[in-house]
Amino acid sequence: MENHPYSFQKDDFVLVQQNKRIMDKKLETKPTTFFRDAFCRFCKNKSSVAGAIILAILILLAIIVPVVSPHNITNVRTSEKFLAPKMFEAGTGFWDGTRKKEHVVYDAVNGVPALSDKYTVEAIKQSLVSLTVDPEVSMIDAASPYGTGGLIVVATDTALENKDAYMVSKPIAFTNKGGYQLEIVLGDEEHVNDSLLGEYCVYLKSGERAEDRMMIRDFGRDYSPISFDISGAMKDAGISSMTAQIVFEVHSTTDVLRYILVKSVQLSGGSRAKNLDVLEEVSFDNPTVMINNADTTSMGYWACSGRKGIHNSEIYYCDYILDTYKLVYGDADLITYSATEFNGWVDKGWCSYDYKIGPESFVRLSDECPIDSVESQTVMTVTKKLSSVTARGYNYRKMGYDRMPKFILGTDSSGFDLFKRAFAGLRTSLILGVCTAAFCFVFGLIWGSISGYFGGNVDLLMERFCEILSGVPWIVIMTLCILHLGNNFLTFFLALCMTGWMGTAARTRTQFYRFKGREYVLASRTLGSSDMRLIFKHILPNSMGTIITSSVLMIPSVIFSEATLAYLNLGLQGQQSFGVMMSANQQYLSIYPNLVIFPAVIIALMMISFNLFGNGLRDAFNPSLKGSE
Amino acid sequence: MGKYVLKRIGLAFVTAFIILSLTFVLIKLLPFQRPIGGDAQQIAYFDKQYGLGYVYRFEKEMSQYGELLYKSPVDHGRAYYYYQVPVLEQYGNWLNNIITRWDWGYSKSYQPNVAASVIIMSRIGYSIRLNIISVIFSVPIGILLGIWAALKKNTLTDHTISTMVMVFISIPSFVLISFVLRIFCYTLDWLPSTWPPDTAPTAARIKGYIIPVFCLSFGSICGYCRFTRAELCEVMESDYLLLARTKGLTRRQAIIRHALKNAMVPIFPSILAEFIGILGGSMILESLYGIPGIGKLFVLSLNYKDYDILFVDMAIFTTISLLAGVVLDLSYGFIDPRIRMGAKK
Repeated sequence: MENHPYSFQKDDFVLVQQNKRIMDKKLETKPTTFFRDAFCRFCKNKSSVAGAIILAILILLAIIVPVVSPHNITNVRTSEKFLAPKMFEAGTGFWDGTRKKEHVVYDAVNGVPALSDKYTVEAIKQSLVSLTVDPEVSMIDAASPYGTGGLIVVATDTALENKDAYMVSKPIAFTNKGGYQLEIVLGDEEHVNDSLLGEYCVYLKSGERAEDRMMIRDFGRDYSPISFDISGAMKDAGISSMTAQIVFEVHSTTDVLRYILVKSVQLSGGSRAKNLDVLEEVSFDNPTVMINNADTTSMGYWACSGRKGIHNSEIYYCDYILDTYKLVYGDADLITYSATEFNGWVDKGWCSYDYKIGPESFVRLSDECPIDSVESQTVMTVTKKLSSVTARGYNYRKMGYDRMPKFILGTDSSGFDLFKRAFAGLRTSLILGVCTAAFCFVFGLIWGSISGYFGGNVDLLMERFCEILSGVPWIVIMTLCILHLGNNFLTFFLALCMTGWMGTAARTRTQFYRFKGREYVLASRTLGSSDMRLIFKHILPNSMGTIITSSVLMIPSVIFSEATLAYLNLGLQGQQSFGVMMSANQQYLSIYPNLVIFPAVIIALMMISFNLFGNGLRDAFNPSLKGSE
Repeated sequence: MGKYVLKRIGLAFVTAFIILSLTFVLIKLLPFQRPIGGDAQQIAYFDKQYGLGYVYRFEKEMSQYGELLYKSPVDHGRAYYYYQVPVLEQYGNWLNNIITRWDWGYSKSYQPNVAASVIIMSRIGYSIRLNIISVIFSVPIGILLGIWAALKKNTLTDHTISTMVMVFISIPSFVLISFVLRIFCYTLDWLPSTWPPDTAPTAARIKGYIIPVFCLSFGSICGYCRFTRAELCEVMESDYLLLARTKGLTRRQAIIRHALKNAMVPIFPSILAEFIGILGGSMILESLYGIPGIGKLFVLSLNYKDYDILFVDMAIFTTISLLAGVVLDLSYGFIDPRIRMGAKK
C-alpha cells in the first residue's frame, strides 16, 4: 500500500445519490405468476374459452349421465331395439320418437306398412301417426309376401347348356266321367311378341314312356289361352281313368335364356270331395301367392326344374310415420289373469275392484299396478266368486317401467340407451386419456430432461432407444399388446403409454436444448447451482407451457386411438367403450342413421373443443405472444 | 453432411432390423393357430413351414418337442408329426430365409398357402394408387388455401378458412367417412357406398374413387392449409420482406420471390414425408369402404388370426414410417443447416 503512488481513503468516495430524491417508484401493480398470466391471456381468447366450456359440459355429462340415468346399457333387450330418438312428447313432430319411412312395401291385407320386425298388426295400427299409400301399383320381379298377381316365369338355365325347363304339377287322378276341364292363361298381351319367349309344350304325363303323354298343346310359339277338356280327350283315347301330372316344358335350343310366362291354371270338374282339394291346390290365378305358399308350406303343388321366378308381381308402396315407442311400449293385447293373482294386487292396495259391480268398478291406485283397465270378468257359477279377469295394460309395465320410457338419442340393436352408452363410453375414454396423459407427462418429462440436459452419449443412447420405439407404428404396438395381453383396460393403458410418452420426451428435450445454453443458466451454473436445481428451477419452468399443452392434447388422441382400434375389431372389452359402440353401429348407417350420427357429433364436438382449448392453452403459455393481441 | 446422411440411413436400417426382429419374436410367441382347410391343405402348409424351418417334422411322436401341432394321415404306411421349432431358432431361420431367398412366409387361413409377398403385391397397388391420387389433390388445394388465408390475414376470408380447418382437422376420419357415406351414398344416392369390384365399368370405378380420395385428402388439405398459413404469416412479418418492399418491389413480387420461397422451406419436407407415409394407406377408410388394400389386409389377417400375413403387413407399415422419418430429417438437415442433432451441453 505504501509503495503505491495513489492511495484512496473511504472519505474520498461520495455516494452519487446522497441527499437526492430517488424518483424510482415501487411497482404498484400486483406481481403476477407465469400461470396466472397465462390464465388471464387464455380468458381473452374467446374461441378457446368457448371450447373449454363445451369441453367442461361434455366432461360433466360423461361423469353424471352414466350415474344418474336409470336406463339399461348392460342387459340385452332386443324387444326395445332401434327406438327413435325422443326428446319431446309424441305428436310434436320433431324429435318425438317417431320414425318416418318412405317407399315401404304396403301390406294391403292388414292395411299396415310391412315392417322388417315382427309386430302384431294391432300394435302397428295403434302406433301409426300417418300413412300414405301410393295409389300407383308397382311391378316387381320378386315374390313379395305382400304382392299379388304377376306371372310365373319358367326359364331354361343358361348355366346348363341345352337343358329344357319343366313346370310339373303334383299327380292328379282323372276319370273320363268327371268332366275335367283345364284352362290355362299364358302371359299377358304385352308379352306376346317378346323375342326371348321360348318354344314350349303342355301335356298330361301319366308315365315315363312317350305314349303316356297326352298332348294338350304341341311345341310352338302359340301363347293364346288354352282350354282343354281332359275327360273328353280321355274318352276319345279310350282311357277310363289315369293319374297324371300337368307338365309345361320349355324347349332350350341355344344357350340363350328362354322362358314362358304362366298367368293362371284352372282345373275344374271332379265329383268326389278329396279330388276337389287336389284340383284347388293345383289351380292358381295369383302366381305371387302361389309361389309364396309353395315356398313356405309345401314345395308340392308345382315343381319346377330350370329357373322359376315371378314377373310383374303387383305391389303397393306407402310412406308412413310411426311412433316407435307406442309400437314397443303401447297397449298390450288383452291378458287374462287368475283371481288369486288379481286379488293379490287388490290386497296390496295397487287397485280396487268390486266384481259384483263389474269391470267399470276398477280403479288404479298405484304405479306398480300392471293393468290399466279391466275389459271383462268371469264369475264362478256355483260359488259366485271371481274366477278370472281379462285386462288391458301397457306393455312398458310388463317390461318393468313405471311410465313410458324416453330415450333422448334412441336405442341401438341391443336395446341399449344410446345417450347413456355414449357418455359411459366417453367416460371410459376420458379416464383412459387422463391416466395415459398423466403417466406420459411425468415419464416423458423426466426422460426428456435427462436426455436434453446432459446431452452427449447419454442423449445419444436415450435418443436411439426412443428412435427404435417410435419407429414402430402405434398400431403395431397396440396390436401386439392386445394380442398378447387381451383387450382390457390395463392393456390399453400400457400400450398407449408405451407410444405416448415419447412425444413429451422429445418436446422436453428440444426445450432443454433451447434453454440450456442461455446466459441465465450459465450464470446460475457459475454460481454453483446443482444439475437438479438447474433442471427443475431454471430450465423446466420455461418449457412447462408447451409440455402441458401437448399433454392436454394427448387426451383426444388417446380417445381417437381407442376408437380406431375398435374399428379394427380390437376394441376395449369389459368396459363401456365409445369406439366399440360406434363401430358396432356403423352397419346401421343406412337404416338408422341416428345410431351413428349422434355419437359422431358427440366425438367430433369433443375433439373440436379439445383442440380449441389446446390451441388457446398453447398461445397463452407462449410468452413471446405476450402483448401481441 | 454426407457423413450425417450415411449415418442417418444406417441408423434407420438398424432400427428397422431391431423392430422387425422384435415384432417377429413377439408374433411367434403368440399361441399357435391351426391353419384352416382339409388334410391336403394342412400338409401343404406344414411342409412349407418345415421347408422354411419354422416346424420340425418327424416320422414318430416326439413328446420332448412340446405340443404336437399336426399329425398327417397315414400315407404309404407313414405319417408325419409336426412340432414347433423354438422361437429363437425360428428367428434365425427367418433371417436366413429373407436374406437368401426373400421368402416372407405363407398365409395360413386368409388365403391358405399363398405366399405373403404375393398377397401383399396384389393389394398394395390399390393403396398406392389411392394415396397418390389423394396427394395430387390435397397438396395444391391445401397450399393454395393456406396462401389465400395468409394473404388475407385477419379478414373474414382468413377467419372462415381457419375456422373450417380447425373444425375439420378435429373430426376423426371414421366420423367423416360416416357423414360422407350417409349424405352422398344413402340420402342423395350419387356415389357407390362400397368400393366397386374390378369387373365394374370404368365410370363406376372412377366414381368409386371419389369418396376415398375425398376422405383421405380432407385431413391433409386441412394440415397443409394450416401449416402454410402459419409459415407464410411468419415470413410476411420478417424484416427482409419489409426490406424487399422498401427496395421498391411490388407486393406480388415480394410475396412470390421472397416470402413463398422461404415459407416453402419447412413445407416441402413434410410433403415428401407425407407422400411416403400415406403409402401405408388408411386402415379405417379401407375397411369401412371395402377397399382391397394393405390397410384392409391388416384387419382381415387379424380377423383370420393369420399372423404371418399380419407380420408382413406390420413390417411394411414400419418400413414406410421409418422411411418417411429419414426423408423428413434429411430434407430438414439439407434445408436448414442450423439444426444440428446430438450437440453436447
